[in-house]
This record gives sequence, structure tokens and C-alpha cells, in this order.
Amino acid sequence: MSLPDFRQRRGGKKAFQFNMIVVGASGLGKSTFVNTLCGQQVIPRRAVDDPSQCAIEKTIAINPITVEIEEDGMKMQLTVVDTPGFGDNIDNSSNFAEILGYIERQYDDLLAEESKIKRNPKFNDNRIHVLLYFIQPTGHSLREIDIELMKRLSARVNIIPCVAKADSLTPKELADFKKRIMEDIRYYGIQVYDFPFDEEDEDEETVEENMELRSLLPFAVVGSDEEINVNGRLIRARQYPWGVVEVENLKHCDFARLRYVLLSSHLQDLKELTHDVLYEAYRSEKLSKLEGLAEKLAALHVQDGSY
Amino acid sequence: MATNTKSIGIANLPNQTHKIVSRKGTTFTVMVVGESGAGKTTYVNTLLTTTIKSYRDHSKRRDALSRKTVSIDVIRAAFDENNFATQLNVVDTPGFGDYVNNRDAWQPLVDFIDGQHEMYLRQELQPHRDDILDGRVHACLYFISPSGQTLRPLDIETMQKLGSRVNLIPVIAKADTITPKDLAAFKRRIRDAINAHNIRIYAPPVESETEGVSERNQAMVDAMPFAVIGSEDDVVTPDGRTVKGRQYLWGVSEVENEAHCDFKKLRNLLIRSHMLDLITTTEDVHYEAFRSEHVSTDGRVVGSVARKDAKFKEEEDALRRRFAEQVKAKEAMFRQWEQKLIGERDKLNKDLEHEHSYITALTQEIKQLEDKLNKK
Repeated sequence: MSLPDFRQRRGGKKAFQFNMIVVGASGLGKSTFVNTLCGQQVIPRRAVDDPSQCAIEKTIAINPITVEIEEDGMKMQLTVVDTPGFGDNIDNSSNFAEILGYIERQYDDLLAEESKIKRNPKFNDNRIHVLLYFIQPTGHSLREIDIELMKRLSARVNIIPCVAKADSLTPKELADFKKRIMEDIRYYGIQVYDFPFDEEDEDEETVEENMELRSLLPFAVVGSDEEINVNGRLIRARQYPWGVVEVENLKHCDFARLRYVLLSSHLQDLKELTHDVLYEAYRSEKLSKLEGLAEKLAALHVQDGSY
Repeated sequence: MATNTKSIGIANLPNQTHKIVSRKGTTFTVMVVGESGAGKTTYVNTLLTTTIKSYRDHSKRRDALSRKTVSIDVIRAAFDENNFATQLNVVDTPGFGDYVNNRDAWQPLVDFIDGQHEMYLRQELQPHRDDILDGRVHACLYFISPSGQTLRPLDIETMQKLGSRVNLIPVIAKADTITPKDLAAFKRRIRDAINAHNIRIYAPPVESETEGVSERNQAMVDAMPFAVIGSEDDVVTPDGRTVKGRQYLWGVSEVENEAHCDFKKLRNLLIRSHMLDLITTTEDVHYEAFRSEHVSTDGRVVGSVARKDAKFKEEEDALRRRFAEQVKAKEAMFRQWEQKLIGERDKLNKDLEHEHSYITALTQEIKQLEDKLNKK
């Protein structure tokens, strides 16, 4: 795969920026995944909670963390937004609004900034470019909370669904699970980021690559905070009594592909889609609401006869 | 009191009892509770080495999801081993923990358990009670999701409700998802949480006169909650053995390998060594507790009706408390949203003002132009 050469430094001094949000129930390996992705301890190991507190229902936290990582020789600023607490309560109905609210607030900030006469050159664009949704590896199909989350957020952010802790499933179980998930996604009309391509516009290689990535959805993820010695090499892996799961082994899971997609091959596409499609849609919706309000007010005034 | 040194054969009673019990057979009811996909069906089938419980029918999954209920399914099977007949009942609880809102998901479970006690009680108080149908639950396996972290609010609340009514045995299924080190820490955190919330779980008696059994029992207790792997399939390990297990690309996890999971310990607990204790504890402890609350001194069942009266106040208070908490939580949330909306409204108002003054300015201009035109 060739190095993406369309990457340019925007705004002169700023390093390349990419913002992602990870969503999923506790214990699905989101933090481990992020640490594995960045090659460093970004999200700290969860502190041992007081056991007497685990029955308390909490609201979800939204924790953005920014790190500088190097990918393909290029430095980039990666912001990962963690959402601990999602799906943990007995009643999780309010979870969706919190996450949607965060995503929309980033759009609002940019909208406000764009409307200013004097713009801030150092404005930080925190719009989320991709949402990684971690699905519990039940082996069955999508649960209600999966469907609700993806349905409600798909209009505002690029969603890439992943099978968390994919090493709990045998190869056949994983294949069947992936198939049923995609069936459910189509059935419920959920729009996920499915590596769109235009057969006429793009070259055969790109088309093939995107078709292959599309067929891998949802990505089977395995993460590890530890490095194990395998055949003399120190690699990120999970050690069981019956064998070792290698995180970067494409036969064991899709982690390496997903990392390449996020940080190299499709980073630009995700950012462009966010700006050209998702943000624009939000903007027009918001402004037409404003226009509608203004019209109503103007109509009221005219009725008053105050002109 | 005279002591008799010559044996008269009373010591033969246990053998007679054995014959009587063998002839009668027994009923054993196990309830399985846990989210869909926790591994319940596979585990039950592995335990009984037969597909007693059918696997999920995926073609019907969308209807199940839209119904949003917790139901109770009883699967009955008759086992005959060495001429000893057992009526085995497996009580499944599909829908538990599967929805976005799982408030009170434990209620149908508790109602079922209490209902079985009540059913037995009513039959027992009949003049003719030779053929009592005993559906009382002898053991409840609570499947904890293998998150590797700790118990969640739903787990705590449900286990508290169940532990006081039935022999509760917490189980971690799909144990081959967690590495041994993480598993040990996970078990520890679960035990801490269970103690911190005063959840009553089944404690098998450890002491035994037979040698080696005490050690085995202690090992059993130390391993709780049991981490199990379920599989009905025969697979071949890298070193050529054929076992029940799960075949991954990186190796085979074996069901009956004690280094891989606690399946054997749990099987012993449920069937081989402690089945009788599970039955007698249910009868002597849980059933008696239910009975004492639901039988009046003149021998009548103050059943469901009186239950509502006596428990009603307790539940009413609990409800009131819970509502107050929920209202507080919602109010806090609304206050937050209100702030956000106020902020947005102010922003919109400012924008409106802009537009308004622009319109006013334009209107003025128009007026001026019109005036000019009229003057001409």
C-alpha cells in the first residue's frame, strides 16, 4: 500500500489532527484497544473501585485525551474521547443523549466560530471524525442498546462497528456473528461508515481495497497491554494456558487493518466526510431552524403592526 | 438407660433408606439467570451432556427484541441413570438484562420462585398429599458477564433479591475470554462486591468425615465464583487428545481441564456431591422461611392475598424511596439540560436580534426609498 501523499499540513504549524470517540459497555476492552492503537498507555488502568460503590448508577463521563503519535513517519495529534459508564446502569435510556450532545456541541463551537467576523486563528477543531462502537461478543446478534446507539448517532458521526474481545469467538462463530450484525444493521436502516467508493471515479486498486474492508465489517478487535515473548520476538499478545493470541496477526483478528484504516488509509476520507457531509447537514438543519424562528418572529411583529 | 451391646440390625436403616429413595427418584430444578449471550444454554447442555435446551433461533430475534419482556421458560427432562430416575427442570429467563432499560427485570424471577413455594405449600396443606408436584427451585445459577471488571448495578440488585430466596450460585461463563491472571483478580473483586452488599450465596458444607473430601470441598469454595467454559463439541487438541472444548486458531480450550476452567468443580457441586444438600437446604431453609410467613397459626395459607398486604407496605416504601431518588436524578439532569438550553436560547436570541436589527435597517431603507419616490 502506497504512502498517502495527499496529506498536507493545514494551518502551517499544527500537526495532523484526528479525533475519535470510543463507545461501548464497561469491560469490553476499549481502553486496552486505545492503548494498543497508540502504542502507549493513553487511558490509565482503571483504578480499583471501592466494592461497596458498584451498585450505584452513574451518569456517563466524557473524557477527551490528546496524544502525539507517529504513524508512517508522520507526527499526528490524536484525540481519543473515552465514554466510561455507557450501558452500565439498570436504566441506560439517557446515555444516548449525552454522547449525541457532546458531538453536536463540537459542531456548535465551529458554527459559532465560523459566524464570527474576526475568527480565531488558533481555533481548535474538536469535531469527532469517527465513532468506534464496541459490540459485546455474545455470538448472537445486535442488542437493543447497540441498535439504539447506532441509529441515533449515525446521522451525526461516522460509525465503525467493532466486535470487542474477538478472541472469545471461534472462527466460525465470529463469521456467523459478523454476518448477523450486518444483517441487523441493514434491517434497522443504520448508516455506518462502510468504505464508500465510486467505481467510475477511483482506480481498481482502491475499489478492491474498499470492497475488502467493507466485507470485514464489523472489525474483530483484540487488544493487549502486555508484551509476550513469541518465538524470540516481543509482541503485544494475550497469553492463555492453551495458546497465545497475537494482536497484530491478521489471522487472529482485524486490529492491524483497523489501525491502518484509522491512522493512514482512510483518515482523510473520514475527516472529509465529517466536514463535507455530516457537519454540513447539521449546519443546514440548525440554520433552517433559526430561519424558521426568525420568520415566525417577523410575522408576529408584522401582525403587531409595529412597522 | 440400658445400652445394648448386641446389634439388632438397626444399622441397616441407611441401606433401606437408600432403596426407598432409589425407588422414588427425585426432582431437581435449576434456574439459569443472565443476559442473552452469557453462555447459559451452552453451559446447561454441556453439564447434562445433551442438547436439553435448544440454541437460540436467530430468525426470530427481532420479535423478541421488540417485546421487551423477561419471560420464564421451563424445560423438563427425565433422566435415568443406573435405575435412579430424576425429573430435571431447567428454568430459563430469556430477556433478562437484554434491554436498554432493565428496571425491575428481577421481578418475574422472584415471582416465579415464590410462586413455586406457594404452589408446594398449598398442595402440602391438602388432605390428600401423596402426589405433590414439586417445582421448587433448588439452585439458581447467576451468570456474570465476563467483563473482567466488577459486578454491575443490575447484578447486585438481582442477586440480593435472589440470594434471600434460593440457593444462589454465581458463575462466570465464557471463561476462556479472560487470561488466568485477570480471572483471579476478577473473582476477587466479585467476592468483595458480594460481601460489601451482603449478598447471600450458597455455601456448600465443607467438613466431611471422608478423607480428602474436606480438602476438595474447601477447594470448591475457594474457587467461587466458578469460571466455566461450555461446549458440546468434540475437538482435537494439538497433542492429539479428543476432548469437549473450543477450537481457536491459537489453541484449544478444554471444558474438563481444571487448569482451563472450573467446570468439573461446578458439576460436582450441582450433581455429584452436593445435589442433596442443595435440595435439603431449599426444603429446610428457603421453603421453611416462605412457609413461616405464609401460613397462619390455624393452618391456613395467607398466600398471595395476605402477601400483598404484609409485603405491600414494605414494597410501597421501597417504591417511594426509589421514585424520590429517580426524581432527584431526573431533576438534576433536567437542570443541566435547562442550563444548556438557556445558553443556546441566549445565543439564538442574540442572532435573532442581529437579524431583527438588519430587517429594521432594511425596512427603514425601503421607507426612505419609497418616500423619495413619492416625493417625485
